[in-house]
Amino acid sequence: MRLTQSLLSPVGKMTKLYSNLPESYIKRAMEKGKVGWKTPRAVQYQPKEIKKKHYRFTMNRPWTDEFARQNQVSRKKVYVKPIPKWSYFRGDMVEVLVGKDKGKQGTVSQVIEERNWVVVEGLNAHYRLVGKTAQYPGTMIASEAPLLVDDHVALLDPADNKPCTIEWRYNESGERVRVSTRSGRIIPTPTQAEETYDYKTAATYRESERDTKEDDLTIISFKPQLSTFEMDVAESMGIELGPPPSETHWY
Amino acid sequence: MLLPIPTSLVSYAQCRALHTSASLLGKRNFRKFLLGPKAGTLAFKNERAKEVSFRKKFPDIDIPDYGTRPTGAHRLGDSTFITVPEMIPELVVPDLTDFNLKPYVSYRCPEVVQEEFTARDLFNAVYSDKITADFERGALTEGGQPREPSAEESLTAESARQRARGVHTDIWEK
Repeated sequence: MRLTQSLLSPVGKMTKLYSNLPESYIKRAMEKGKVGWKTPRAVQYQPKEIKKKHYRFTMNRPWTDEFARQNQVSRKKVYVKPIPKWSYFRGDMVEVLVGKDKGKQGTVSQVIEERNWVVVEGLNAHYRLVGKTAQYPGTMIASEAPLLVDDHVALLDPADNKPCTIEWRYNESGERVRVSTRSGRIIPTPTQAEETYDYKTAATYRESERDTKEDDLTIISFKPQLSTFEMDVAESMGIELGPPPSETHWY
Repeated sequence: MLLPIPTSLVSYAQCRALHTSASLLGKRNFRKFLLGPKAGTLAFKNERAKEVSFRKKFPDIDIPDYGTRPTGAHRLGDSTFITVPEMIPELVVPDLTDFNLKPYVSYRCPEVVQEEFTARDLFNAVYSDKITADFERGALTEGGQPREPSAEESLTAESARQRARGVHTDIWEK
């Protein structure tokens, strides 16, 4: 089932969770933007579609225009190691193992599951000047480069704050948790993992006037009655039930 | 038309067919003959302009008819347009006072799970109380039928059907 799921939807689970977008929209947005071509829907045309065989996932999210633009060019396929259980969440403290920031620890700010990438805040970054004019020297901002999960980045053992390998095990309550193989300590899931585009936590979501509230949603006003829909409507409108009409026959 | 060739001079393998008329015979196979927005007579254009596929393809074309419902008609032989009130669509919107369900659901709400309401559930809801009460005080016969049936219990399939068909409209009532 996992194989068919991964074949049917190339977009990762973490991406869908964070975006809060329906799957059908993501699929539609990925297919539009000239990433494929369809024959016009007319009588004289055979319905044919030229689809991309694989997408090249980038730092831009799959439903964006930049992604569509980057995918217009055909590039070599990127081979991504399949990870059965994704173990890196937003807000995790990790240590960088390669590059000029080797040995430094930072927080995961972005997860791109399709390329096995995590972006660590402030680390493994290159700096660029933005808004430079003749008068103004420009603002320097850090743009972090992604790091490969498992190879370039490691989660920290809570016992000694050193990089470790992890395993998913069950705790006493039956929940699956990440456990450091070295010390056996549980690595807690950060609260930032629950964050999505719409809210930081579900409980702190700011409700708008178009949102149905909990009190109104949980009312079940259905009363089972021995009457048809028309009889219910007649009762509510105050129309009295009359004698049945004469029998009709089909010949 | 085949020219007669004497078999004694030429073998059949060397014989070739001759056609004196054009091979298409006047037929034209129009494939991928896409019409533009301004092709055809006015009636054809007006007819075509009403199609959704045409309007999607040419959204900015200036065509007299946009497919809107007329709210009246031109007087015969005249250019004056008379508005007919009955042609103006009347939107019937239910009264939404005290109706608190909104188009979206807040992320704070817990998930409400309601299973399918089957015929068995309806039966249990309507009849189960009376049946258990009757059973406890021994008011059921040996076959399980009630000795004192209620209104619902004394319904037959035919009478229930007649009852359902008894819903009439009150549009014509004064």
